[in-house]
Amino acid sequence: MTSRPDPCTIRLPVFEGPFDLLFHLIKKDELDIWDVSIAAVAEQYLAYLRSMRELNLDIASEFLVMAATLLRLKSKLLLPRPFEAGEEDEEDLFQFKSPEELFERLEEYRRFKEAAVFFRERAEAQSKVYLRSTGGREKFILLSGRQQQKTYYTYWEGAHLLGEIMNRFEALAAARSMAPAIDLVEDIPISDRSGYICAMLDKSGGALSFSSLLQQKNIREILVTFIALLDLARRRRVRLLQDRLFGPILVLPAEKECG
Amino acid sequence: MENAKAVIEALLFLAEEPLGLSRIAAGLGLTKEKAQEFIEELQHDFIEQQRGLRILEVAGGYQMGSDPALAPYLEKAVGGEESGQLSNAALETLAIIAYRQPLTRLEIEEIRGVRCEHILDNLIKRKLIRISGRKEGPGRPLIYKTTPDFLVYFGLKDLKELPPLEQ
Repeated sequence: MTSRPDPCTIRLPVFEGPFDLLFHLIKKDELDIWDVSIAAVAEQYLAYLRSMRELNLDIASEFLVMAATLLRLKSKLLLPRPFEAGEEDEEDLFQFKSPEELFERLEEYRRFKEAAVFFRERAEAQSKVYLRSTGGREKFILLSGRQQQKTYYTYWEGAHLLGEIMNRFEALAAARSMAPAIDLVEDIPISDRSGYICAMLDKSGGALSFSSLLQQKNIREILVTFIALLDLARRRRVRLLQDRLFGPILVLPAEKECG
Repeated sequence: MENAKAVIEALLFLAEEPLGLSRIAAGLGLTKEKAQEFIEELQHDFIEQQRGLRILEVAGGYQMGSDPALAPYLEKAVGGEESGQLSNAALETLAIIAYRQPLTRLEIEEIRGVRCEHILDNLIKRKLIRISGRKEGPGRPLIYKTTPDFLVYFGLKDLKELPPLEQ
């Protein structure tokens, strides 16, 4: 089998929408928006869409609707008042009766496009300031363990970890002189446990570690707590974080509703 | 009150959101003017003594944050902005909402010429905007507004701090 040659990569400016593209076409020729002829803009716009199609690029429907709008505006100029009535389409994003109306809207779009630059600059400056409220604490707990984080383990490491799990399991079983078989049919008071977890979370007002929720640390308690936590997470009452395999599990209150 | 500055410092340290001047003043039993004087002194002290923290004026209140000059070091220790930067499309949409709020999705789309449902969802998830109600009229469409988190994100005191839209 021969490997397929790399498809060549072409970088095109990404346009946020038809206004963005129109704006670019006008600016490229350094024209004043009010001096541009709709016919010239329409032509360039269509040429651009054509080249996009030749490159097999997906063209979002808005771009096509705009193309139709441009053609309609252009044809209106060529044919004096051909079909005024009954051509409004409620679904149409671009209902312009004249090129002036289109250019007015382009002007308005340009104002916000430029305003977005201000927001970009402010966001960049502000990203250098660390706040407690932006989850700094959560992030810190998570990231402080990042050095050890691994996505995969060698066989030896895996065997070592597995051995460690077995050891802990045995130690637990020995401590409670309990066989490592659990009777799950027995009534496990998961809802009691959920209530307890929620109360503890309320009291702490922040993050709790899984182990801090355990009092006796026997297998039954670990299991019930774990199941209760999974259930709470499923019902979006808590969030669970674990930054690496076998790492400590962190229990956080559910995200506050916005608004 | 001789330890007023210390109390304000502690209050700002504890607060996870910007604290309004009136809340700080009430907590200390001071007039707003007096409280503001202390805050300004404290702001000055932090800079003068080359401390790692700054007291910022954002979202109609005061908040403690790290000195921006320390960002390179903090990034190494704590990591950079996890959630990633906002796309141009998201910033454009935010700009429209910031200047024209409250407004409907359709009104935003008319200005941008592109549908922006996903962008709005994303901005809501990031708590930069919120649904503030419905517009009276056919279909009673939802209307959107910026949030206090929006002001914090861009380090703005209030919406009046936005530069006037160029005409």
